Amino acid sequence: MPGIDECLLEAMRLPGARGAALVDWTSGLALGTVGEAPGGDHETTAAEAAELARMAAEHGAFAAQGDGHPPVEDVIVSNRDSYHLLRFVDTSFDSSVFLHLWLGREDGNLALARIRLGEMADRLVLG
Amino acid sequence: MTVVQIPPPPLPVRDKAAPRALSPMLTRLAEERATGVLVREHGTLYLAEGRVVHAESPLAPGLDVLLTAHGTLAATAWQRAATATAGPLQAAELLLESGVLPAGALELCHLDALYDAGYFALAPSSTPGRFRYDNAPRVGPLPSVPVVALERETLRRRLMLHRLWPDPAADSAPLIRADPAVGPAGTAPVTPRQRAVLDRVDGIRTATGIARNLGRQAFHTLVDVRRLAAAGHVAPLPPVVPEPAPPPPPPVTDPDIALLKRLRDALEAL
Repeated sequence: MPGIDECLLEAMRLPGARGAALVDWTSGLALGTVGEAPGGDHETTAAEAAELARMAAEHGAFAAQGDGHPPVEDVIVSNRDSYHLLRFVDTSFDSSVFLHLWLGREDGNLALARIRLGEMADRLVLG
Repeated sequence: MTVVQIPPPPLPVRDKAAPRALSPMLTRLAEERATGVLVREHGTLYLAEGRVVHAESPLAPGLDVLLTAHGTLAATAWQRAATATAGPLQAAELLLESGVLPAGALELCHLDALYDAGYFALAPSSTPGRFRYDNAPRVGPLPSVPVVALERETLRRRLMLHRLWPDPAADSAPLIRADPAVGPAGTAPVTPRQRAVLDRVDGIRTATGIARNLGRQAFHTLVDVRRLAAAGHVAPLPPVVPEPAPPPPPPVTDPDIALLKRLRDALEAL
C-alpha cells in the first residue's frame, strides 16, 4: 500500500513528468512534493493550483449530475509547453486534497496521465 | 600615496520583512534539535530531534475524530489501538503497521491533524509555554514536519483568514445566522461544504465545535466561517453584557446608633 511519497514518485515515472504534489485546496498547503515546480517554488505553485481547484470544486456549473463525490474528477490546464493535471482525491474521511502533475508537452501523454493519475489517487487512499 | 576611504560598516537593521518567530522558545528548541513536549495555552507540540511529530489541541479534532466521524475506521478499532498504546500517535502507528488503513490515507489524515492542531498550538497566548525534555517522542513511520515549516504554514493560514474576513471574533464566539437584511447575503453562493457548516450554526456552537461535529479540520471550518461571515450569512454572537449590578447597600453609618450609645452611657453614669 503506497504512502504519499511513493504515490508522487510513481506519478513522476509517467512520460514527460516534471513535478508532482499532493495539495490541500482549502488551505493551499502542499502535503508532499517531488520533482520541479513552475518557477522553482512548490509552495507558490500549490497555493495557486489550490485556488483553481477550489473554483472547480465549489462552483455548481462544473459538478456532475447527482450527489456523487467528489463533484469534479480532474482539472486540466494546457499551455504552449506543458500540461497541468489536477486530480481530486476522494477520501472516506473529510478532506480536500488533489494530486497535481506537471507534464512537459513534448513527452507527456495527457490521456494516459489522466487515467494513471486517477488510479494513483484511488490507490493512495483505498490501498 | 592613495588613501582608500573605507566607509564605516552600515549599522545592522532589523529585517522588517522577515516574519517574527511565533514562539522564540520553539525556534531555540528546533535549533538545538530538542526532543520533548511543548505545552502551550491552546495546544501541545511533540518534538523529536527538532521536528514536529505530533500536535494536539482542544480546538482541533484529533486523528481519531477525523478517522471515525465518517466511518473510515470503526470507533472500536481506534479504541483497541488506543488502549494498546501510549498515545494517539502510537495508536496511529499501530494502525499503520497492522494495515487496517491504507498508508496514504493514514499519512494524509495524520498531516491534516498535525497542521490543524499546530495552527492552534501556535496561536498567540497569554501564558508562556512550557517545554519538558522527554525521550518518548521519536520520528516514526508517519511523516513529521520541520518546526520552520509548521511556523510558516501557521503564519500563512493566519494571513489567509485575515484576508477572507478581518474580524477574528467568528473563530471563537458562538455563531448565529446573520440577518440577511443587514448583511449582503446572496452575493456569494453558499457551497455544499459551507452549507454543512451553516446548518449547524445554532447560537451555541462555535466554529471549532462545528468542526468537531462534522469530523472536519478546524482550520477548514474557520475558512468557511470567515467566508460565510464576509458574505453576511453568519455572525459571532455578541458578547453578553452583564446586567448592571444593583447599587451596593449604603454603608452603615447610622448616626442614631451613636446617639443611643451616648444616651446609654449618660444614663449609666447617673
